[in-house]
Amino acid sequence: MTGRTTGRLVTAVLRCYPARWRSRHGDEAAELAELLIRDGTPARAVALSYLGGAARERLAGRPSRRVSAAAALLVAAGSLGAPLTLLSAGPAAGAAHVSRAPASRTGSRTGRTATPSQQCTARPDRASGARPAAARPGVPRAAISGTGRRHGQGC
Amino acid sequence: MTDADVLRRAGDASVLILTSLADGPKHGYALIQDVSQFAGLRLGPGTLYGALDRLERLGLIEALPTQDRRHPYRITAPGVAALRAHLDSVERVSAVGRLRLGVAGA
Repeated sequence: MTGRTTGRLVTAVLRCYPARWRSRHGDEAAELAELLIRDGTPARAVALSYLGGAARERLAGRPSRRVSAAAALLVAAGSLGAPLTLLSAGPAAGAAHVSRAPASRTGSRTGRTATPSQQCTARPDRASGARPAAARPGVPRAAISGTGRRHGQGC
Repeated sequence: MTDADVLRRAGDASVLILTSLADGPKHGYALIQDVSQFAGLRLGPGTLYGALDRLERLGLIEALPTQDRRHPYRITAPGVAALRAHLDSVERVSAVGRLRLGVAGA
């Protein structure tokens, strides 16, 4: 993985954190990632650790956002090519083989390749190829999102 | 475990961070390096920031003015008390465990 790709990967994952977290820790977190990777920590392990942190940060937020935040982060994990069991694995995650993730298929449907940040913003129902719940008959709008807020703000 | 042990549910990362800060303020990278040295564990950066935020909310550590892009943290007086209470508690459990295992030094 080149330095530039690594930088983009970490930047994309850091975008998954809430804005208030990014304004407080964002710069330092990016610098810390650089230092750890320079020390030999696999970039994927750093990214996965931040991804887990972002999930915990979002899940600790308002309950109405929990489901959509968790779903968005699962898609983001998929875009990193990580088996879900590695989300809590820390450094061992660096040993995982990484293959193209489902999110890259999202791009191929439109003939484009999604960037990491686009993969992170992908809505779960689009990434899986399923019709959005809002488009399905018989699904009340209120059942889809309790607050009507947009999914994955800042992620 | 006693009620005074507020760290009993805070997680291992919090204890490691407080232990590291017990000998002076450190920023994130220095914390990871120090914990790696004395505990042989590599804290993930996501885990680190989660624990730092939690400890700060609990008033056990405080952020110092930013140096460059880095936030150094230092342990507070309640943090010192909490760490002491937790270590006492762990020591008691450790002593009972050693005794029951018949390990020398109990």
